Amino acid sequence: MTGSRPAVDGRWTTRLALARSDLLEFVRDRRALVITLLMPMVMYPLLALSSTLGIRTAISELERQERSDQLTLVLSGPDAEGLAGCLGIVAAREEARPAGWPEPLLIKIAAADEALALLDAAAADAWIDVPVGTLAALAGNGTTTLVPRFSTSRPPDRRVRELVLDAMKGVADEVGRERLRRAGLPTSIVEPLRIEFAGDTPTGQAGEIRGLVPSAVAAVLVLLAVLTATGAFYPAIDALAGEKERGTVETLLMSPCAAFDVVVGKFLAVFVVTLATLLANAVSIVLTATVLLRLLPAGAVAAAPAGAAASCITITVAAYIGLAAVAAALCLAVTAASRSAKEAQNTLTPVVMLIAALAGSALLPNAAISRWVAAVPFAGQVAVARSVLAMFLEQPADGSGDAGGAGAGIVVRLAASLIGSAAAAWILLAVTASLVANEEILFRGPAAASRALARPRPRLRPSIGQAIAAAVMGVAALWYVQGLAPSDFATALMAQQAVAVLLPLLAISWWQRVDAGETFGFRWPAANAAGIPAAVMGAAAVGSGLFVLGAAATLAVRGSVVSAEAAGLARQLVDLILGGPTWAAVSLLSVMPAVCEELLFRGWMLAGLAGRMPTARRAAWAVGGQAAAFAAFHLLPERMPQTFALGVVAGVLTLATRSLLPAIVMHAAHNATPVLLVAAATPEEIDVILHAGRGLPAWIVGGGLGCLVLGGLLVTAACRGRQESEAWKPSVEDDSRTC
Amino acid sequence: MIDVRNLVKEYRGGDGASIRAVDGVSFTVAPGEMVGLLGGNGAGKTTTMRVIATLLAPTAGTVMVAGRDVRDDPIGVRRQLGYVSAATGVPDRLTPGEVLDSHGRIHGLGPHARRARVADLAEALDLTGYLDRPCGRLSSGQRQRVSLGRALVHDPPVLVLDEPTSALDILGARDLFDLLERLRRQGRTILVSTHRLHEIERRCDRFLIIDAGRIVADGTRDDLVRGDARGLEEAFFAAVAPARPA
Repeated sequence: MTGSRPAVDGRWTTRLALARSDLLEFVRDRRALVITLLMPMVMYPLLALSSTLGIRTAISELERQERSDQLTLVLSGPDAEGLAGCLGIVAAREEARPAGWPEPLLIKIAAADEALALLDAAAADAWIDVPVGTLAALAGNGTTTLVPRFSTSRPPDRRVRELVLDAMKGVADEVGRERLRRAGLPTSIVEPLRIEFAGDTPTGQAGEIRGLVPSAVAAVLVLLAVLTATGAFYPAIDALAGEKERGTVETLLMSPCAAFDVVVGKFLAVFVVTLATLLANAVSIVLTATVLLRLLPAGAVAAAPAGAAASCITITVAAYIGLAAVAAALCLAVTAASRSAKEAQNTLTPVVMLIAALAGSALLPNAAISRWVAAVPFAGQVAVARSVLAMFLEQPADGSGDAGGAGAGIVVRLAASLIGSAAAAWILLAVTASLVANEEILFRGPAAASRALARPRPRLRPSIGQAIAAAVMGVAALWYVQGLAPSDFATALMAQQAVAVLLPLLAISWWQRVDAGETFGFRWPAANAAGIPAAVMGAAAVGSGLFVLGAAATLAVRGSVVSAEAAGLARQLVDLILGGPTWAAVSLLSVMPAVCEELLFRGWMLAGLAGRMPTARRAAWAVGGQAAAFAAFHLLPERMPQTFALGVVAGVLTLATRSLLPAIVMHAAHNATPVLLVAAATPEEIDVILHAGRGLPAWIVGGGLGCLVLGGLLVTAACRGRQESEAWKPSVEDDSRTC
Repeated sequence: MIDVRNLVKEYRGGDGASIRAVDGVSFTVAPGEMVGLLGGNGAGKTTTMRVIATLLAPTAGTVMVAGRDVRDDPIGVRRQLGYVSAATGVPDRLTPGEVLDSHGRIHGLGPHARRARVADLAEALDLTGYLDRPCGRLSSGQRQRVSLGRALVHDPPVLVLDEPTSALDILGARDLFDLLERLRRQGRTILVSTHRLHEIERRCDRFLIIDAGRIVADGTRDDLVRGDARGLEEAFFAAVAPARPA
């Protein structure tokens, strides 16, 4: 026997054969099959039934409220009987009653304490203690104030308030008309417009339910995204981690093809199962929706032209095919490094949360109309489906409206979504192939899975992963601290720096056991004593100049157009600066953030990203990366360009001087400049700063530029001596030595 | 057929340090020869075989299989080589027939060629009695036969077997070595490693003894035993002992 040539050759033959083998195995796994494909067929009807029950209950409550036109009013006080007479007159004249007049209106006259008892015993809906002189005021041209009271032992009822208001409006209108008659004026003088709606009066419940439909549909779309993605879980776990567990991975990698072809074969199998899950979900949703429409009241959902529903379903499914592809590729990538099915399941748990978060982000306002959002995996597909469903729900039954224009927009977003999905899936497959071909991952021991989380040996600097981890921890802490921080702005600022910057930094520094001096650049920025003040002054000048130029650029680009959040922040900052001593504001807004944030971003993060002796290219990436994280850390989009520039300059200063001190001084000067300007300005000037949005005068911009140049020269001169001795110079190779 | 020259393979240890698992190994296996690779645990047998099977990339040195370099043409090597290891499993939910058919497809065999090949292998490996039974319900010996059949589907001239009998009982191991002898007689080149020296003592044409990543002995049984009546096992101990500290 010899090695004969195969009858058929080609990469796709191998890929399809691998996919077929996996699919065959998956089909034989009845439990996974039932969970993946049959669960949706049961789940959506159950969800629909429970939600229909909820809607029915809501409708009953609405109907009860709408039926309840009866009002029992108890009046007390010396003019109670007179007001009761006025109400009786209006009640007797049908043409005098305003819309919403209580029917029947029951009036009781009682003393104040008795009225209160009636109210608490639910024998009356409202009580008015009619003040002395009310009748006189009504008879003349005066105004009297009535204060209706409701039971404090029961929850407030909006309907009762409306009925009291309508009853009193009837009296007020009647008195008003009488006054006009006395003055010899026509009643039209106070009724310049009269609105009379044509057609049928819409039923309240249908309108209420129609308002719920878009939200319910959006929730179902997110659920569909998550459930479609879960269809990839079992086959993805089985595809690579399962092969390792069964001991068949070596045979798999002996296939006569590249690792990428093996991954594509696996992907095809997972993708087919994910698609089947999508279709099972889609069929179940459509059938459930059909049943649900029969259970809901007439008019609850807008009637759309025939064919629109089919188009809507087709476009939604088409968008979700892309989602299925990304989910399949993502699950494969995540499970590729796992050694067993259990390990793979553990690693997939955060993936569910990621997918749910991304899909849910498509529910944010305006997300559905952006073409860029459409290209984002998981969010884009939900956004496209939302926009097409919105068009479907809002389209008139007669087919009128600009369906063509909206349709073209949806086709563009669908194309963007599919292209984005294909690109994301391809990148993930390439990552998976590199993981599959990685010997250490392929043949590592069971303990290696958690090696990345183990406490490492003492080392000079953090690794790239640890650098990014600190920034992620910081942003996450910043997010949470927003909800927990006290309402006082100054205290909130301190809490933010402590929880979002210092705490993660201390935790990760302690765990990773890095060399603090090396990581945080605790050394003088210049080689000689004369150079240190020059470096510090130069950094301060650079910081002030950078602020001025950044402010000028922002004003030139955006003018006075800022978001409500930015305007609110500016107001709080000004109040803080003017509300206390200037040194306190400088400490709080300038020194504290400069120290804390520089330790995190130019200390920990830059040290990890750049390494000890980085190449020029790696240094550039490191500076850009930490500056981007620094900008993102400031959350407000308006501030990000300036904070990014600040991060870049601080990063360059740190790398050039091998010291964190210039960056801290530069950052502090950058933040202190506006504090000092506001502290020195008059209230009128501050108002101009906040609202006028005029550009800065040329002399100020020139001064800022001068500061920047002069400061840069000073720093360069100061660190020249160090550069010649021990400072960083771009190296050919990175040095990642440990202690 | 297999030509290994100055093979070095290093791994990265848990602390980042480099570990040299194979340290300058050189040997050849001629066409139609059956060679036993002997060594203790951690001696470098599996690493050497994985490099030959293209599962690991060599750190240094060259490895040629049927005239193809594992580094330059790994796919070409895989077409010429069948590989079975101690840890090799089979999919529980597929039948042996489906396993062999799937691997025929992966190697690009057409429908007629696959059917014929599966029938031939079922006959040769004595799989006909359970060809349609899920592999999850087969014994260890039967599963190992399926595994071997899978490695032979594409009719490779070279077989590399890493401790193929470790999960088998004594009868299963004997049957498997009988089968390997038959394959060798059909002209295949076989490199096999095992701890059961007595089982292969009379079956292999030649033996390589590896210890601490180096080949410490290379020769026929008679060369290694040199008239010692205690056989290959004592020759193995003698070859390994000088390399170990007392």
